[in-house]
Amino acid sequence: MIRRIKLVVLVAALLAVFLPSFALAQNFGVSPAEVRIDDLSPSEEAEFEFTIRNKDDISHIFTMTTYNPEKSERREGRAEFPDGSWISFSPQEIEVAANSKGTVRVTVAIPSNQEWAGKDWEVWIRVAPESMDLLVANCYIRFLVSTSKSVEAGSKTVLIVGIVIGILLLGYGAYYSRRKAKLKHLQR
Amino acid sequence: MKAGITSVLLAIILALIPCLPTLAADTATVTITMTGVDEISITLEPTEWPLGDVSPDTEYLTSPPIDWCTLTNTGNVSVNTFIEGKDARWYEDGTGKNYYWTLSNTNESDVDDAVRGHKYMLWFRVHGDTDRGYVLITEGESEFWPPNGGSSIDAGDYKQFGLKLLTPTFLYGGREMKTTITISAVAA
Repeated sequence: MIRRIKLVVLVAALLAVFLPSFALAQNFGVSPAEVRIDDLSPSEEAEFEFTIRNKDDISHIFTMTTYNPEKSERREGRAEFPDGSWISFSPQEIEVAANSKGTVRVTVAIPSNQEWAGKDWEVWIRVAPESMDLLVANCYIRFLVSTSKSVEAGSKTVLIVGIVIGILLLGYGAYYSRRKAKLKHLQR
Repeated sequence: MKAGITSVLLAIILALIPCLPTLAADTATVTITMTGVDEISITLEPTEWPLGDVSPDTEYLTSPPIDWCTLTNTGNVSVNTFIEGKDARWYEDGTGKNYYWTLSNTNESDVDDAVRGHKYMLWFRVHGDTDRGYVLITEGESEFWPPNGGSSIDAGDYKQFGLKLLTPTFLYGGREMKTTITISAVAA
């Protein structure tokens, strides 16, 4: 009974207002629609740029994020991208003036691990305008990343430093052994 | 002793031989493929649904019901599109956290009032889509067009659709509720 009265009161109120204002259509485009990176070694990074074209008569703020699509939406043979944090945007958020273009740089860095070698991944880059409208259009860039079969041996600097340290240690070892042998010889 | 040192040196040289190609190579080849002329772009018109005052547990349809909004592919590539909804929130308290209607992710319109409570429901219906009729809009992305692997929306082509809202069985009156429905496009 109380519930009924409550409902009747609420019905009588009829005051909740849902989405009250009109707005113009949003109009923007993103180019390219698809980007493919091949033979990226784990431990390496690659960069590319994409363009947001604001076709509206007012400026808009756009935010970039990554999105992992369902298997059925990915290109054939492509697996889910393991970690969205490997992809970064510069800037993450951009204001594009009316009837103008903005450029965003995307960097993908694969950690150095044999586990990530020889993979074919797909991830989508979402470009979303800031909006309080009921209907909002977003655009995705298909981003296809393939890694090379083997992990890079590491940066050359590290390798060279390693070799130098190795030679120094070896030299010291040889010197030490010789000295020890000489001392032994003298003691006899 | 000398023979020992020579052996160790030889072993190290042998171990370093596989690293030589890495040292010799100046650059690793990473292929980035992007077609600059491809632009992904969709527009929605209109983007607002001015409902005014609503009653609890009542269905509302856009007018006209199934060709109220036009989604146009204004880019130059065919696209697949997706739709997702959100909870409706009351933002006048400055946070949007204190009062909201939860977007139902299941067809619960026929279940007990106590279960549905402050949940609201949204559906879309695409003009000419007699197979699916009204499709529930959920928080996770679901297919907008094409349904079940059908034909994508070609460049310059458009789809018309309408919305249906079912308000919660219980709601507080006098509050302006706002929500967002996102329609996303990706190159087919």
